[in-house]
Amino acid sequence: MILYLLRRLFLLVFVFIALSILAFSLGYLFPGNTLQNFTGMTDISAELATQLTAEYRLDSGYIQQYIAYLQRIFSGDWGLSFASKQPLLQEIKILLPATLELAAYALLVSFFVGIPLGIIAAIKPEGIVSRIISALAIAGYSIPIFWWALLLIMLFSIGLGWLPTAGRIGVLYEIPHVTGFMLADILLANSQHQAEALLNALRHTLLPTLVLATFPTTVMVRFTRDSMLDVWEQSYIKTARAKGLNRAQVLYRHALRNALLPVIRQIGLQFSTLITLAMITEVIFSWPGIGRWLIDSIYQRNYPAIQAGLLVISTLVISVNMLTEILHTLFNPLARKR
Amino acid sequence: MARFRLLPDEQQARSPLLLLWREFARQHSAMSGLVLFILFFLLALLSPLLTPHDPYLQNDALLLIAPSWSEQGLVQYPFGTDDLGRDMFSRMLVGARYTFGIALITVVGALLIGLLLGVLAGMSKGVKSSALNHVLDLALTIPSLLLAIIIVAILGPGLINTLWAIMLALLPQFVHSIRNAIAEQLNQDYVTAYRLDGASNWQVLTRLILPNIWERLTVTATMALSTAILDIAALGFLGLGAQAPTAEWGAIIADSLDLIYVAPAGVALPGLLIFTAVLSVNLVGDGLRNAMKKRREN
Repeated sequence: MILYLLRRLFLLVFVFIALSILAFSLGYLFPGNTLQNFTGMTDISAELATQLTAEYRLDSGYIQQYIAYLQRIFSGDWGLSFASKQPLLQEIKILLPATLELAAYALLVSFFVGIPLGIIAAIKPEGIVSRIISALAIAGYSIPIFWWALLLIMLFSIGLGWLPTAGRIGVLYEIPHVTGFMLADILLANSQHQAEALLNALRHTLLPTLVLATFPTTVMVRFTRDSMLDVWEQSYIKTARAKGLNRAQVLYRHALRNALLPVIRQIGLQFSTLITLAMITEVIFSWPGIGRWLIDSIYQRNYPAIQAGLLVISTLVISVNMLTEILHTLFNPLARKR
Repeated sequence: MARFRLLPDEQQARSPLLLLWREFARQHSAMSGLVLFILFFLLALLSPLLTPHDPYLQNDALLLIAPSWSEQGLVQYPFGTDDLGRDMFSRMLVGARYTFGIALITVVGALLIGLLLGVLAGMSKGVKSSALNHVLDLALTIPSLLLAIIIVAILGPGLINTLWAIMLALLPQFVHSIRNAIAEQLNQDYVTAYRLDGASNWQVLTRLILPNIWERLTVTATMALSTAILDIAALGFLGLGAQAPTAEWGAIIADSLDLIYVAPAGVALPGLLIFTAVLSVNLVGDGLRNAMKKRREN
């Protein structure tokens, strides 16, 4: 196990180095002035330019420049945003939690809805309930998320007027930024309108979560169902049945535990898709997260922001990937041997 | 007394492909998916011949005509016209070329490159193989939309530029699945037997491995195709992919979005088409997977 962890760690370091090289090379690949792309400053005077060139080592070779770039990344100097002239790291610290919050709720929904539905669908694979669940799952799997979001907005916000269409919370409420997670921040803030604020934030969260959760939930349903059916064929299930355990006991003690193992792995594999979908959801619901910020950045040709966004989002996805894989190996001794 | 049989049952004597088709045709959902898929494919090929009007012709006498099923609609314009007087029906038909056709090209491209890299990774051992894997792991972790944003930032927006982004985003899953399939095949006894007969790597690859993995590749390709259609539409919708006059379905939705109260059909119809296209691909993919499973069981 320790050897396995060491190998993973080595891989992680390798991947991060490759990622930082990619992010660094973007400063050259993006159109425009390389110095501007790295610093994020648009009008640089001549003496400042010479000073910055020395500081960023743009006059020396690529290797030195890359090392200087790494030093800047680790010391927290990520450059400025073209659009707002604010330090990028500061902006990302405010934006990233909003995205994480949305993605976390969607993942939670997909667990608590997707896995039970998948198990139900696997109990009687040819039954009518199972067929309905599978049909819903394949429909949810195929629907374009932006269109689905628009349909729900048309129905719940404009048609019925039940839910708000944009933002994380009504503009009347002022919640201090502590953790960045809106619901946690409301609970931390000791205001007299806490209950109303919480309700308002929940109403804002409901529709984006529903939209974003659709894809992971259907993936969970399909995957849990397939995995259950697969496990149900194994000989240890037959042995357990032969020993006289009833269906529920076999399901709980043998089938479920083995069937859910690959599902853990699936979270890591689907996480990058989830982030893509979260970015689209954020644009439609004006959710102030990193996805909307990145897509705005491309409209504004805000190259330093895209570079920083690549670093942050990829680091996030790589970490989640690695974490789920390690968890999977921890729970599944069979996977360690390879 | 057990009878000696030179030939197996008639059922088993059929070719694997025929068996697969029989299992596939038994599933109604898969067959309807296949019919829809063929329809979309033909549409992507032939749509310029089928359009009743020029999809890009702006007619200011006929702005925002309602679809023909409403009272104000015209029979010549089944889906009505948009705010520039362009025929929606023709635009929908031509859209199949962009959304569905380009997605198909993307997947075929990714499949070919993936086959090359997957074979290299699967047949080689040691450093070369593991280095290739790790680079791919990196590519796998960059979300496809982020990859598209980076490529658009470098090359500028456009349908062809996003095609590269989507191809790059699809590539890792192809290489992974091909590499795993090859690794599985290399462990089979018949590969060892063939090698003992003196077969070279190339012969093992072309005569044994490729015929044995192409079915699994088809399933991976259908999954990739559904992702590709959704990605192309999403990028068109965000304004990063197909640009304004192009009749790509996602771009049409983005165009019609500000008129959603006046002409909801402009948003509803292209969305429905994307949904149907992806659904047909997924139904075919699921049907194939099920058929392969059933054939193995029999």
